[in-house]
Amino acid sequence: MASGEIFFEHESWGRNLAWSAALHGGFALFVIVYAWIAGSGHGSNWAAGGGGGAMGVTLVSNVPLPANPVQTKSVLATESKGVSQSKPQEKIEEPEAVAIPEKNAKVKPRPKPQPTATQRKPQPQPVEEANNVVPFGEGGPVSGPYSMFNAGAAKGGFGFTGGGGDFGSRFAWYVRVVNQKVSENWLKYEVDSRIQTANRVYLTFDIDRSGRPSHVQVEQSSGVPSLDVSAVRALQRIDTFGPLPPDYSGSKVSVEFWFDYTRK
Amino acid sequence: MNLKFCSNTTSYKSLVRPALAAALFLLTALPIFGQDWIKTGTGLGVEKIRIAVPDFKAANLDPRNTELLKTFNDTLWNDLNNAGIFDMVSKSFYPLGQIGSPADVKFESWSGAPPNAAMLVFGNLGSAGSTLTVQGWLYDVKNVASPQVLGKQYADAPTTQAARVIAHKFADEIIFRLGGGVNGIAETQIYYVRGASGHKEIWAMDYDGANQHPVTTLGTISLSPHISPDGSRMAFSSFTGSGWEIRMFSFDLNRIVSFPRYGGTNLTPAWSPDGSRLAFSSSRAGNSEIYVVDQSGGNLHRVTSSKGHDVSPGWNRKTGSEIAFVSGRTGLPQIYTMGADGTNVQRMTDQGYAVSPAWSPNGQFLVFSWMRHYGAGAPGSEDIYIMDIASKQWVQLTHDGGRNDFPSWAPDGRHIVFQSNRSGSLQIWTMLATGTNQKQITASGANSEPDWSWK
Repeated sequence: MASGEIFFEHESWGRNLAWSAALHGGFALFVIVYAWIAGSGHGSNWAAGGGGGAMGVTLVSNVPLPANPVQTKSVLATESKGVSQSKPQEKIEEPEAVAIPEKNAKVKPRPKPQPTATQRKPQPQPVEEANNVVPFGEGGPVSGPYSMFNAGAAKGGFGFTGGGGDFGSRFAWYVRVVNQKVSENWLKYEVDSRIQTANRVYLTFDIDRSGRPSHVQVEQSSGVPSLDVSAVRALQRIDTFGPLPPDYSGSKVSVEFWFDYTRK
Repeated sequence: MNLKFCSNTTSYKSLVRPALAAALFLLTALPIFGQDWIKTGTGLGVEKIRIAVPDFKAANLDPRNTELLKTFNDTLWNDLNNAGIFDMVSKSFYPLGQIGSPADVKFESWSGAPPNAAMLVFGNLGSAGSTLTVQGWLYDVKNVASPQVLGKQYADAPTTQAARVIAHKFADEIIFRLGGGVNGIAETQIYYVRGASGHKEIWAMDYDGANQHPVTTLGTISLSPHISPDGSRMAFSSFTGSGWEIRMFSFDLNRIVSFPRYGGTNLTPAWSPDGSRLAFSSSRAGNSEIYVVDQSGGNLHRVTSSKGHDVSPGWNRKTGSEIAFVSGRTGLPQIYTMGADGTNVQRMTDQGYAVSPAWSPNGQFLVFSWMRHYGAGAPGSEDIYIMDIASKQWVQLTHDGGRNDFPSWAPDGRHIVFQSNRSGSLQIWTMLATGTNQKQITASGANSEPDWSWK
């Protein structure tokens, strides 16, 4: 009886042990699987910096957002990818002794640029930097009062040559007049409406002493005939810019005028 | 879950914000698209020249200087302010101390803040005995090396009228230099019709409304004055015993001179830009049609023939080879253009009720009066419009109600004079050709049909 009872007890214990082992194994498996799942999720969050932001970023990137209704305007005026030199030489110190300027000085070959207040004004500077640098006045938005203009979606700029080469600095007011009249007479709607943007077109023309423009020529075409023609017509509409300054000794000045066109 | 909820909120926000922005954009954009305004873009975006005009300094201690200086300074300021090409620097920004001569100019205090002026006008005025002397300079203050753009000296009698004339002349010199060779209008005149009890006479005044005075005293009804390009004669239409006839006034003789009578109703004479021909409308053959005669009234020939009335001719002031006119050939009056010989008729307006065309001095634009929506239920306002002839794009210049009519160009092509009843009575107004700077220049009586002199 006793032995029989003991044997029976042994049998009953082994069965429970098997259940226990199975349950422990299952629990261990659960722990491992859970740890793998939870661990991997935690690792991802941690790697992304944690918090809801990381998830937010991931999700937002998948949402098809509507396009920005306002088109961003490119401010780069040239095709060059160079670094825009946004300001002229600003850091010239205050000149402590400036020679009294000769107000009626005649045109002479320019000896050397003197550090006067005039040259602190934004003016096209000779390119001294590496080729990759956009010269001042040719990059970015309008930044010089006498070198560029904006007319609607269009932009232009110009350089003067005449006399000793300092016409632009001596008679800045006249350059401004030329700037204003050309921009007033350039009619954007003459450019083919299908054209969104075009290469720069360069014109050259002369201004005689009476202020009349002549010899208008396309120096470099934009590749868009209607833009070239509209630029030429702008000049043809102008009867006079007003007589050249009386102090100017030359018989004419030559102007190079460029137009950039971008339809808004 | 928490994370997911947060991220969902973020994504909703991400959707809602652009949607709101788009809605706001549309809401703000709608009023613009809802109106019939088209900007041609000409002349837009061009900066005005920032100019400082401090009061001129007394050159001596003569007691008459005070009044003369006031007249001179006010006139000069107004002329430059009215020019339409300057941004006048407020006098409150000026540095202390008067400037009478170049030696007084401190460049940095004018070119720097607060004035930030590009140009400076200064000078002195002095009366001695029977002479008034004015010295004036125009300086580019940002160009210290060679600042002088203009230096002038004037001498006249020491009267306020002379001071006014000198100020006009000096202002016109400045405008000529800085406005690209276009003469200023400070010395121009405006001719107009002034109503009195039972009759209407032709009057004249300075461009700013000063010096209003009668030209004709016929005691009848005279309309549509048109000054000749050289300023020596004025054609107008006047009611005579035989009907409406073209009359001619000579400023050289200061009286009416003879001019042929054509019979019928003859109205709205207009000079060709070379002063050799006149166009006008006449009903001598029944219908009102456009006729052209030479300056003495001879060599009459008809240039239009249509079923409707053709009236109000206006020459292309640059070429003299085209005429704009009003025709009712398709019903309501519309603006048309044609060659001076009547060929190549082109319709310019396509709706409403359009009258009073005037061709700009550069030949590029027409200005006219237009009721774009005409008929029952339409607003009924009559406004001044400018049209680019090549593209037929137009811009509405007046928006302030009332009836605006009879526009006429100033010789500089920057200003327009017109009549309007917006102030309660019929008066003469001026504005820039952009529609800005509208000013009433007559105040009393009934004044209408202005015509700006050619120079």
